[in-house]
Order: sequence, then C-alpha cells, then structure tokens
Amino acid sequence: MSVHRRAGCGAPRAGFSVQAPARGAPHPAVNRSVRHILDSQDFRDGFADMLPACVGLIPFGLVCGVGAVAAGASIWGALGMSAIIFSGAAQIIAAQLLAVGAPVAVIILTCVVAGLRFLMYSAAIAPYLRPLPPRWQQALAFLLTDQAFAAAIRRFDAGVNPRAGGLHFLGAGFALWLCWQITNVVGYFAGNLVPASWSMEFAVPLCFIALIAPHFKSAPQVGAGVLAGIAVVALDSLPMRLNLIAAGVIGILAGTAVELVQERWTRR
Amino acid sequence: MDATLKLWLVIVVVGALNYASRLSFIAFFARRSVPAPLARALRYVPAAMLSALILPMVLPGPPLVLPAWPTPKIVAALIAGVVAWHTHSTLKTLGAGMLALWLLQAAYARIG
Repeated sequence: MSVHRRAGCGAPRAGFSVQAPARGAPHPAVNRSVRHILDSQDFRDGFADMLPACVGLIPFGLVCGVGAVAAGASIWGALGMSAIIFSGAAQIIAAQLLAVGAPVAVIILTCVVAGLRFLMYSAAIAPYLRPLPPRWQQALAFLLTDQAFAAAIRRFDAGVNPRAGGLHFLGAGFALWLCWQITNVVGYFAGNLVPASWSMEFAVPLCFIALIAPHFKSAPQVGAGVLAGIAVVALDSLPMRLNLIAAGVIGILAGTAVELVQERWTRR
Repeated sequence: MDATLKLWLVIVVVGALNYASRLSFIAFFARRSVPAPLARALRYVPAAMLSALILPMVLPGPPLVLPAWPTPKIVAALIAGVVAWHTHSTLKTLGAGMLALWLLQAAYARIG
C-alpha cells in the first residue's frame, strides 16, 4: 500500500467548504464540492489504498449476509444492518441473538458493548480531525471502522495535512462501506460461496495484521500490543466479549508505562 | 413483537448508539484541546486494540487457549506479521498469510 508516497498532494480546489443546501433543490455549490472531492487525488488514493483490505474482508461480509438470512431478515433488513450498523462484529451478534429470539434490550446492549472500542478510536483520531469542519467530522465518524481507523492513523502519522488526510480517510472509508454492502448482499443471496476448508475467515485477522505490524517500531508500541494480547486471552471468561475492551485499556496503559520507563532511562 | 419491527428497532438503535460511540470524542475534542497525558496514551490505541482483536481469530477456541504446539494459524499469522512489517503491503500480507496457512494445514494433515 502506498501510504507514504503521495503525502500532501491534493486537488487544490477540493476544499472542505461544503455549504448547507438550501431547502428544496440541492445547492449548486454542493454538487461542485462533491465533484471536487471525488476528483481529488487524496480521495482516490484513499479509495485505492483500501481495496486490498476490502478483498480480505470479503469472507467476513459474506458471513454477515448469511447471518442476516438466519435472523429472518428481508433483503432490506439485511441492507439496513450492513449500511446503518456498518460493523461486522455487531451485525453477527445481532443476527445470532435475533435468530434465537433474544429480547431486544439484550441484543442492543450486547451490540453496543461490542462497539465500545469505537470510543477509543474516536478519542485517538480526534486530535487529527480537530482542524476539520464539524460536517467533515460527522461524516468521517460514520466511516470509523477498525480498518479505516488504523489506515487513517498511519496516514496522519506520515505527516499529511489535515485536509489531505481527511480526504484520504473519506476515500478509504467509502471504499470499505461500498465493499461491505456488496459482500453482505452477495452473502444474503448466494450464501457463503467459499468452502470452509479454504479457511478464508483467516483473511480477516491477516488484514488487521497488515494494518498493525508497521506500528510495532518501538518498545512501547510492542509492549502495548503484547500486553493487550495476553489480557484478551487471560480475560476470555468475561461476559459480552468485555475482554476486548479491557485488553485494549490494559494495552494502552502498558504502552504508556513502557514509554515513561524509557524516558526515565534516557534522561539519566 | 413483530419480527420485522424488532429487526428494524435493533438496526436503528444499535446504528444510532454505534454512531454515537464513533462520534463521541471527535465531537468532544473538536472545541477542547486534548490533555497531553491523554494524547500520549491514545497513541497506543491502534497497537493495543488491534492486537486484542487479532488474537481471538488466530488462537484456537472458544474458549481461547494457548496450545502447547503452535497451530497452522499461529505460525501463518507470525509469518504474515513479518511480511507486513517489512513490506507495509496488505496484499502481500494476505497472500503470504493464506499461502502459509494452506501449506501448513496440508503439512499438519500429513503428519497427523
């Protein structure tokens, strides 16, 4: 993925000046702005950079489509899940619990607990999105997924300006969203096309590995990853997959602790 | 409750609450500066959170266990990690990881 190559180059007029449309017919300025966004190099780079990860997510999307069938959803219900919830983990949990007739409150609570990691993503990406207008923050928040988050953080850390990074994030998030709808619909109608013996579900962790391995460049980052890994296994017995969020917090604390120790050593 | 109504209730409420989680701190810090200690800690979110997501998909389970002998998925994940670290390429990581998994599964099947 060419994350670092084109840092900072964007179509000069693809700005963030999206005006609120007047009631009724869409404001002509909005149409122009949308075209400028789609034409910008950063948006297109973001879209293209995310396509390999989209390939890896195909099996996951198919499984979610199959899950929607099991939950008794119509095609519109299945599309509602993939387009509005837009979170594989939450969709699978919801489909499984709907299929066994669990109470609505239980389904909602379990899905939201699985989505608590978005709080951490939101906080981690917030400093980079601060210079952007509220509309852009609101749009990018909707596209905040595991993959888009990790890719966007890498892009911003490579030193792009906020506008270029925002456009790249928008392109990447849009590619993921589009791919997610297509794979969910295909899964809904065609079932799981991939034989289980191919172990294609392994493509999902491989995508995450591709996103995270480049982060492991310093002792604190490695410490954060290792401790989170140990914690997620050790706390596996927690209900509602709370081990995920607990492991995330433990990993963050571990990374910070290693960094503080490192600082103290170098200061001597 | 009607099944369709129940499904859409779940879609709308979970969708809204997930979006609220995603927007939460982006909106909160839009007008406030991020305190330095928090900003420092937040740099470890990707490494910590993604590691926590990856392990349950690589280890055998549920319940999650650390096997005495590395399974094909564990070895393939390590190989993919090395490839990802060196190449920064999602496609190469996917290719190397899947290829390693298939070869290892075949080898393990033969050994028994």
